[in-house]
Formats: sequence, structure tokens, C-alpha cells
Amino acid sequence: MRHSTTLILAVAATLAVSGCGSGKEQKSISISGAFALYPLTVKWADEYKKAHPDVKIDVQAGGAGKGITDVLSGVTDIGLVSRALSPDEIQKGATPFSVTRDAVVPTISATNPLVKDIQATGVKKENFYGIFISGDVKSWSQLGFTSKDPIHVYTRSDAAGAAETWAAYLGKKQQDLKGTAVFGDPGLAQAVQKDPDGIGFNNIAFVYDPATKQPSAGVVPVPLDLNGNGHIDPDEAVYATLDQVTAAIAAGKYPSPPARELYFVTKGAPNPVVTDFIKYALTEGQKDVTASGYILLAPEKITEGLNKLK
Amino acid sequence: MTWRRWKDKASGGLFALLTAVAVLIVVLIGGGLWWKARPITRTHSIGQLLFSSTWNPFDGRFGFWGYIAGSLTVTGLAIVIALPVSVLAAVYLSEFAPVRLRKWLLPFIDLLSGIPPIIYGVWGVLTVVPVAGYTALSGGVVLAVMIFPLLISILLDVFRTVPEGLKDASLSLGANDWETVRKVLLAKSKSGILAATILAVSRALGETIAVLMVCGNVATPPHSLLDPVYPLPALIANNYGDMLSIPLYDSALMLAALVLFGIIFVFNAISRLVLHRLERRNY
Amino acid sequence: MPATYHTRKRRLEARVFRVLMLASVLVIAASLGAILWSIVSKGIRSLNWEMITQVPGGGFYIGKGGGILNAILGSLYISLGSVVLGLGISVPAVLYLNAYSRQKTWFAGLARLVFDVLFGIPSIVYGAFGFTVMVVLGLKTSLLAGIVTVTLMIVPILARAMDEVVRLAPPELSDATYSLGATRWETAQVLLRQSLPGILTAILLAFGRAIGDAATVLFTAGYTDSVPTSLNQPAATLPLAIFFQLSSPMAAVQNRAYAAAIILTVIVLAISLTGKFLQQWLSRHRI
Repeated sequence: MRHSTTLILAVAATLAVSGCGSGKEQKSISISGAFALYPLTVKWADEYKKAHPDVKIDVQAGGAGKGITDVLSGVTDIGLVSRALSPDEIQKGATPFSVTRDAVVPTISATNPLVKDIQATGVKKENFYGIFISGDVKSWSQLGFTSKDPIHVYTRSDAAGAAETWAAYLGKKQQDLKGTAVFGDPGLAQAVQKDPDGIGFNNIAFVYDPATKQPSAGVVPVPLDLNGNGHIDPDEAVYATLDQVTAAIAAGKYPSPPARELYFVTKGAPNPVVTDFIKYALTEGQKDVTASGYILLAPEKITEGLNKLK
Repeated sequence: MTWRRWKDKASGGLFALLTAVAVLIVVLIGGGLWWKARPITRTHSIGQLLFSSTWNPFDGRFGFWGYIAGSLTVTGLAIVIALPVSVLAAVYLSEFAPVRLRKWLLPFIDLLSGIPPIIYGVWGVLTVVPVAGYTALSGGVVLAVMIFPLLISILLDVFRTVPEGLKDASLSLGANDWETVRKVLLAKSKSGILAATILAVSRALGETIAVLMVCGNVATPPHSLLDPVYPLPALIANNYGDMLSIPLYDSALMLAALVLFGIIFVFNAISRLVLHRLERRNY
Repeated sequence: MPATYHTRKRRLEARVFRVLMLASVLVIAASLGAILWSIVSKGIRSLNWEMITQVPGGGFYIGKGGGILNAILGSLYISLGSVVLGLGISVPAVLYLNAYSRQKTWFAGLARLVFDVLFGIPSIVYGAFGFTVMVVLGLKTSLLAGIVTVTLMIVPILARAMDEVVRLAPPELSDATYSLGATRWETAQVLLRQSLPGILTAILLAFGRAIGDAATVLFTAGYTDSVPTSLNQPAATLPLAIFFQLSSPMAAVQNRAYAAAIILTVIVLAISLTGKFLQQWLSRHRI
């Protein structure tokens, strides 16, 4: 017993001593929230600190809900959010700033025997609805393909901006998506990749290899038949490379949703230090967006954000 | 009063206080969950919450039955797989295995209880899912592997308490080694095996991330082991981080935690009673 | 004596179970071996000196340079801190249950039931509980909050595992000390010394659980790229580092997750071996 008492005292003393280390007042920004925005925010914070060594930025991940709760309770300055804010949250003062974009595309396995046909005809929105929402579309033959196989539907198990956005494209919520639910973006991509009859959806970062810009081994995007004419026209064929898709999204040729914006959320108007950082993200910071696997904001969105900060 | 007596009294008081603090944790957590879950119990009846399996939180429909059924299925399956295998393996390790094998294998088993659950999940996706799919079966298998180390380490401790003399007596009466195991070792360890099972079931009920990576997460009560299931801890883990800032959703998830808490509590209370009976009969 | 039908059956049964036992050991060893193999084979190539000596650089999560020193130190601080704090609560509790109160009082029964129940509560519930308390009190995620919440999670593990060992101490031991006129406090010390090796096992179990858990620390200790220098700063942890890197789209980053898992396994192994060594050394005092 005596030993453990000494131990506890020793540890407490060590902790107390180390606790006295910080004292100097400095400008600081604390950020927490969605995993989807974490890598880019860390990159921005790093670059920003190089120009502003007096500012300390602390970035934490923990999910969009935690980001919003933290920012609304005044514990942090910025929440990272990858889904639309709920009315409850806006009412409590959550103020969103779009900082970058991302997009979700439907995917099938590269081993699907119908890959060529599906890429030529695309899939109409009402058929996606039949597959993912109502469950009326159960087999590939119902979409007009010559196949006896059933369709295996996969979705996300974790509450996620990607699933929310894909459901929003079909006019629904994540809770309405049918199918075997798999955890995380990589998990969903892996499940679809291994199932020749599988269909799912992924953030584009998980569909294309950021280095080669080609669809990464295993899953291929399903083109959206936007005008519903039963085949993919040249201006609907935007899926060959990552650059082509991002250009199409930036030009508005790929609908939104399933493209989506990612937000910095503050409580009411941000203080000057935080304002400056958000401004940085919207201006100089945009140069890091593409390299980090995200999509540039439309110019008018940037202007809108900057105006909001004034 | 002498110094020794005084020290005895003081330590007794302090220790009782600390024990009470430890016991209070459960009251605090239960109370905290109840406080967070209250908003939803005001608008929904308990019966409807527990026995409906419609889960549409954004339309205000919160039925937990699918999740409760999911939890019970994977946990039951994991115990059915893990218990016989662990008992047989523990018997072998304690009675038959060469000393060197035991020395080599035990630290290895200890080590595996320190591997984070997410790694078990990744392993499940890579090796179990390709065979069994995203199903209750996969969830049960992964869970079984996760509770092997726990079961074996407790069972070995239990077997160690059976006196050597009893086993020698049995052998000298002409029983062969398996009969000695069955009629002396296992019979004497009955209550210990039950206690180990209780802990393993508790642990399995609460295991989260590894199971949710392989179980398919569909909240319909399963009809076969090859259907996907959605256990309660998975529901919480899948949604808490993103949805905790939406009051009613947060409340529903805390109610899910409370339901799980209730299941574990009832299960443990019943098994403790049984255990108590068994122990009394043994003396 | 000719083998009767009955003895042949007995021998057959023994042989069948012998095979089943061996098969069980094999199943367990193989599945556990497969898990270790899957970590090592995927992570070993990404494992390098930089991983364990540096904090993440700005582009670490998109495949650029840096390491996970922040998570290694954060995990060690949290698991060591919470084990020490947890022992401070659970050792007295266990001694109270075994030396001070009579074995079968309702309070002792209740305490054991409570520890069993707490053992099954998923860690995310502890995390949610800790986070709720922190929001009510207006606290930020910090090393201290992480240590306290993980302590709540491991107290039942420590208490239950130690209780089993202390209870197994031969009753003659405490009878003897009492009959020599020892007080309960002195008896407790004897019990404690007798049970030390078992207590080490309990500590190892608790340490493994504390260092391997992601959900409790996610909401209470947070996650950050810098190494904490005080108790009120947030801290990163290894399971979360594994989790983040696994959810990256880039294979290079995902492989680092496995390297981080190797590091975590090596830490657990080192602690476990130290424990085994101490256990043998301490067993000298046992009767």
C-alpha cells in the first residue's frame, strides 16, 4: 500500500509541475470537428502559422456533431462540418462558411461484367431512387441490361456527409438509404470492389487515385444519365479522370448534390483572429485544395464568404 | 485507543469511502444517461421505443427492437463459438500442454487482449467477410476471436484453484485423464466457468467498433445468421460523433446506451443469483 | 484383461476430446496469429525511425513526412496516468471488500455486480458521459479529462480482476494473521503482498484496455498534432491515429496506420513482458 501511495504522489507531483509550464498569452485559434475536413485544415493551419508565427492553431477531429457542440458551447472557435446544419443548430447561432467542396459519385465494382454497358447508358435518377430508396429495382435486368444477377446495394453505416449528400440527391435522408451498411469511406469502396453485383457511392477521393488521376483499382464510377435519354452524351461523360470530374463539378456540369460543400462553422460572427484565418482559407489557402484531394469552391461562393466576414 | 487501532479505523473508513465512490460510478453513469434520454421518453412510450423496429430519427420514429435483436444475436453467437473452444483450449493448456508451449503461448494471448478493437475489425473485413459476408455470422466470429484471450486467461486462473490432490485421487481410482478432467476439473470449476462466461457476455455486449465493421448494420431483426444485423453499441458509435448536436437524436442515442446498460444489468443480476446458488451448493 | 466394450468407449471418448482440445488450441493460436500477421505484413514497410521520433508535419495526412510521436506520448500519458489513478481507487476498494467487510454482505455483492455491469458498458458510452459532463462544466478536451474518463472505464476491470485474485488467497492466511492479533489494516497488507503477482495481471489487462481504446479518448482528450505539455492541453492517442489514417483514401497513409498498430503492439508487448518479469520476481514472497 505504502508503495502505491508514493507512486500516486510522485505522478501527481510530476503532472502538477508540467502543468505550470504554460503561461505566456498568445493569439490562439482552436478548431474541432469532421474527419472529412481534418487533413485540409491541418495543412492550412500549418501554412498559416508560417506567415503568422504568433498565432497558435489547434486542430482536432471528432465528428461534425462534436465540432458544432464545441463551437456552440464556446469551447472552440471553429467547427468543421461536412453535412448541412440542422434548424436546431442554426437557431443556436451556428454560422457556416463554405471553404471547399467535395463530391460523391455512385460506384460499381470493376469486376462487374456489365461495366462497359453501364458506362455507355448511365443510370437515371429514378432508377437510383428505385435501387437505393424504394428497393423496387432489384436486378440489373430491370435497368435494361442482359443479366440474371440481382443488385447488391451498399451504403454507409456511420452518419456521414457522403451518405447524407447521396440521399439528398434522391430527395431523402441517410436513414432512408437501403442496403448493407459498411463503416467508413474505405470500407464502402472495399465492399463494392469485392462484389461484382455491388453498387454503392463514394467521395471522389476514394474513387480516383490522387497520383495517377485514374479510377483506382477496383471501383468505377456509374455515370449519371442527367437528361434521362438512356445513354451518356459527350457532355455527361465526365468520369474518365479526376481532373475531368473536378472540372465538371467546378463548371456545374455535375449536379450538387451529390457534390457538396464543406463548412467552417462559428458561433455568430468570428473574432478578428479567427476572421483572418477563415479569410486565408478562402483566398491563399485555396491553392492547397486540389493537391489535398478536394475541389475548388465556385468563385461566387468565395466572394459570398468574404462578404459575410466583413 | 492505540495508534494501531486508530490506523485500522481510519483506513477502514477511507477504504469504504473509495469503494462507495467506485460503486457510485454506475449510479452516475446511469443517472447521466437517464437525464440525457428523458426528452425522448417524454414524447414516446417505452413500449413503443423498445419493441418497434422502425428507426427513422428525422421523422421522430425511434424503435430499438432491431438493435436489441442484433445485440443479442451476435453476442449469443460469439459465446456459442468461443465458450467450448476456450474451455477445451484452457483445459489443454492447464492439464496437458508441455510447459514450453504454455510459456510461449500465454504471453501471446495476453498480448492480443491489448490489440485495439479496430485492428480486429480490419482483420474481420479482410478474412471473415469474404467467406461469410457482412452478416451476423461474421460479427459473431470476430467477436468470438476478441473474447478468446479474456476467457482463456480467466479459465486458466479458475482451473489453477482445483487442488492437485483431487485429480490424483481420481486418476489413482482408474479414471483416465479425460474422465478426470470432466468429473473433477470441470465439475469443480462450474461456478468459475459461469463467472467467466458472465464477464465474456458483458464484454461482448459492449464491444463496438470491430463488430460494426463486419455486421452489415441493417436494423431489421435477423431471420438467419446470414442476415446483416445492427447491434446497439454500433448504433451509438456510428452516429454519436456526427449527431450529438441535434438534441432529439442525441437523446435517442443516450437512450440506446441506457437500454444496453439495462440489458447488461439484468443479465448480470440474474447470473449473479445463479452463481450464488451454485457456490452455496458447493460448500 | 480383454478390453470390454465399455473401456473401449471410454478410451475412444478420451481420444476424441484430446483431438478436440488440440484443435481448439490450434484455432485460437491460428486466428490470433493471423491478426498479428495482418498487422505486421502490412505495416512493417512503413515503419521507420521518423514515425516514432517526429510529430506529424502539415501534409502528414495526405502522405507527406512526419511521425506519430504525439500519439505515442499521448497514449502513454493517458494509459499510465489512468492506471495509477485507477489503482488508487480500486486497491482500497478490493481490500475493503476482502479484509474489512465480511465476504458475503449485500454491499460486497452489490459492489461486485456493479463492477461486472460497468465492465460491459461500451467505451463510447464512457466517452459520451465524459463529454456531456465536460459540456455542462464548459471544459475543453484535455489530457486530464482523458485520464479521468479512462480511469472510470478501467476501475471496474482493475477491481474485478484483483478481487478474483485476493479472494483466492488461502483463508488460513487471514485467519492466521487475525489470530496473531493483527488489525484489519495489517491483515490487508498481508493480503496485498500475497496477491501482488495477480495484481500485476490486473494492471496489464487494464493497461491494455486503456491504451487500446479509441472512443473514450476521442471525445475527452481530443486529437491534436502537438505533444501536450500540460494537463489541460488536448492529446492524441495511438488508436485514434490508426483510425484516422485507416480512413484516408491514400494507400501510403493507410499503410502507416498498420505501422502505428505495430508500434502499439510493441508497447503492449513491452509492458506485458516487464509485468511477467516482475511477477516472477515478486512470486518469491508467496506462500
